[in-house]
Amino acid sequence: MTRRSLRPLAVGAAVAAPVFVGVGYAAGASIGMWGVGAGDALDPRRFVRVLASPVTLESTLWTLRVAFISTLLSAVVAAALAIALRRADRVGRWGRALAVLPLPIPHLVAAVAALLILGQSGLLARVAFALGAISGPAEMPPLVFDRGGVGMTIALLWKEIPFLFLVAASVLATRGEALEEAARRLGASEWDVLRRVTWPTLWRGLLPASVAVFTFVVGSWEVAVLLAPSDPLALPLLTWERYIDSDLSRRPDAFVLALLGVSIAAVAVVAHELATRRPADTRGTAR
Amino acid sequence: MLVAAGLAGAGCAPGTGDTALTADALRELPWDSIVEHARDTELVWRMWRGDPAINAWIDGWVTPRLQESFGIRLRVVEGQGPELVNQLVVEREAGAAGGADLLWINGETFRNLRDEGLLQGPWADVLPSARWVDSTSAIVMRDFEEPLDGFESPWGRVQFALIYDESRTPDPPRSVAELGEWIRENPGRFTHDQSFTGMTFLKGLMYAVGGGVERFTGGFREADYHAGRDSLFAWLDAHRDAFWRGGEAYPAGVAELHRLFANGEVDFSMSNNQNEAITKARQGVLPPSARPLLLEEGTIANAHYLGIPFNARNPAGAMVVADFLLTPEAQLEKLRPEVWGDGTVLDLARLPEEIRRRFEALEGDPRALAADSLERYARIEVDAEYHERLAADWRAEIRRVGR
Repeated sequence: MTRRSLRPLAVGAAVAAPVFVGVGYAAGASIGMWGVGAGDALDPRRFVRVLASPVTLESTLWTLRVAFISTLLSAVVAAALAIALRRADRVGRWGRALAVLPLPIPHLVAAVAALLILGQSGLLARVAFALGAISGPAEMPPLVFDRGGVGMTIALLWKEIPFLFLVAASVLATRGEALEEAARRLGASEWDVLRRVTWPTLWRGLLPASVAVFTFVVGSWEVAVLLAPSDPLALPLLTWERYIDSDLSRRPDAFVLALLGVSIAAVAVVAHELATRRPADTRGTAR
Repeated sequence: MLVAAGLAGAGCAPGTGDTALTADALRELPWDSIVEHARDTELVWRMWRGDPAINAWIDGWVTPRLQESFGIRLRVVEGQGPELVNQLVVEREAGAAGGADLLWINGETFRNLRDEGLLQGPWADVLPSARWVDSTSAIVMRDFEEPLDGFESPWGRVQFALIYDESRTPDPPRSVAELGEWIRENPGRFTHDQSFTGMTFLKGLMYAVGGGVERFTGGFREADYHAGRDSLFAWLDAHRDAFWRGGEAYPAGVAELHRLFANGEVDFSMSNNQNEAITKARQGVLPPSARPLLLEEGTIANAHYLGIPFNARNPAGAMVVADFLLTPEAQLEKLRPEVWGDGTVLDLARLPEEIRRRFEALEGDPRALAADSLERYARIEVDAEYHERLAADWRAEIRRVGR
C-alpha cells in the first residue's frame, strides 16, 4: 500500500476524532473510571443494570418508534411533494421555494409553536371551543405530552419534510430527468416511468438523508423536552435526567444511555451501508 | 491610593489566577484588604438564568453597582444546581482553571459539592454583612439540615406556596384533606411538575400525611423514609386518577405548569417562592388574580446560598460580591415584588430603624402572605437524601404508568 492511499483514512480519522474522544470518555465514565459519581472501584455491571432495566427498554422502544414513524412519513411526503412540484415554470419554482420555508426555523422554535397550536389550551383547542365543538381544555384530545407522541411527530414532520424535500427535488433534477427521458423514448408509459425509474431513483437518493433524519430524531432533546410524554421518557430526556440526578451515584447511568444512543445511530448507518451496497461493489478500487 | 489599588489588584488580576489567595486564606485578612484584592477584577458568577426578572435585576442593578463601588466587572454565565457538580468534576479531572468564581447553590447540590470537596471555605462568616443575618433561623443557618460551616453564604429565603386564581377558585382548599377533596371534585384540574418544585410539593405532602416534619428531621433514616413514602404514595394512588391527564403525564418543569395554569388547563400552580404568584402576575405570566396559598399542615421553606468553587480564579471578588448581596440595600431591592420578590435572610430586628421600616412597608402588600403566617407554617428541609430517594421512587413507582 502506498502512503498516498492512506490519506483519506487519516483525514476521516481527524474528522471523527472528537467522536472517539467522546465515546471513550463516556465508556470510562459509565464504568466509574472517571467523571462524576465515580467510586473507589470500577463498576462494569452498571452496563447490565441500566441496559436490562425496563425503563431503558420502554424509553428506547418509544424513541425508536417515534423516530421511525416520523422519518418514514417525512420521506414519503417529501418524495410526493418533489414529484408534485416538478414543474419548470414560475409556479413550480415558487411552490418549491415555499415548501422549504420551514428549513431555517430552529427545532426548538418549531416545538414551541407545536405546543402553542396543539396543546389542550392551544390555538386548535380555542378554535374548537369557539365553534362549540368542545366545552373545555380537557375535551381536546391530548396531542402534546401524549404517550403516542403525536405532537412530537407533527413538529418533527414539519421540520423534516422540507429537508428531505430539498434532497428529493435535487435528486430528481440531477439524476432523474435523463433516465426518465430514456425510458420514455424506449416506449415506457408514464406509470412505468414513475414506478420503474422515478421512484427507485428517488428512494435511493433519499435513503442517506433519511438515515440522517432518523439518527437526529433519536438524539433530539429539544423537541422531546417540550412535547414528549413523561412516561415513557424519550431516550435523550432519560439520559439528561440521569445526568443531573440528585443522587450522584446514579449519574454515570447517563453515560451508558448516551452510548446506547450512539450505538443506535451507528447501527442505522451500518444498516444503510449494507442495504445499499451493490452485489459487486468495485467502485472504490476500479480507479 | 490609585497606585495602592493597582498594586493590590495586580496580585490577582485575571490570567494570574494561580497566585490568587483562596477564600480560607483571605479570611485571615482584614476586610479592607480583601476588598483591595477584589478591585479591578473580573468575576464570573454561574447561576440559573431562567427568570427574566432575576436577570434584569442582576444585569441592571447589581452589575453597575459592583463596577462603581469595587471596580468588579461581573460576568454572569448560565449553569444551575445539579450541572455544577458535573462541570466542576470535569474541570478537576482536566486540571483546568475554574470557569466560575461564584455559584448559586442550595440543598443537595451543596451537599454533593461538599462531599466531593469542590467548595472553598470557610469564608462566609467573615463577611461584614453577615452580622445582619438571621442567625437563629434553622431555615437560613442549615441547608437541608447540613450546617453551613462558612462554606456558603445565604442570600435569599423562600417558602413553598401553591398558586390559585382568586376569580376562578374563590374558596380554595386550606388543608391537605381539603385539597384531596377538591381534586376529586374537579378531576383533571390539578397536577405538579416533575422537577424541583414538584418534588418539594411531594416532600411537603409526605411530611403532612407521613406524621409531620419531626418524623424526618435529624438525618436520613430508612424506616421513617419508607413509612413516609408509603403514606404519600397511598395518598397519590387515591387521587392521581383525578390529576391532570389522569396522572399519566406531568409537566417537565414549573414554567410549563405556570403555562397550563395561565391557560386554564389546570386551576393550581406552585412555586418554591411564596411571592412568585404576585411577581409573575405583574410580569403578565400569570393572571392578575393569581394568589399564593399555604396549607395548614405547613409548607417547606428553604434558603439559597452562594458558594466559591475550589478552582475559582477570583475568591476575593466572590467574597466581596457575596457580601454586597447581603447588604440591607441589596436584600431590600431583591425583595420588592416588581424586582424579584426574593425573601430576605436578614433579621429585621438587627437593622437600623430607617431601613427596617422600608422592609416592613414592603411586607404590607395585601395580596402577599403575611409574614407571621409564613413563619407559623414554615417547615424545614430535611436531609437531602429524603429528596433524592423520593424523586427516584416517584419516577419509578408513580410516573411510570406503563408498568
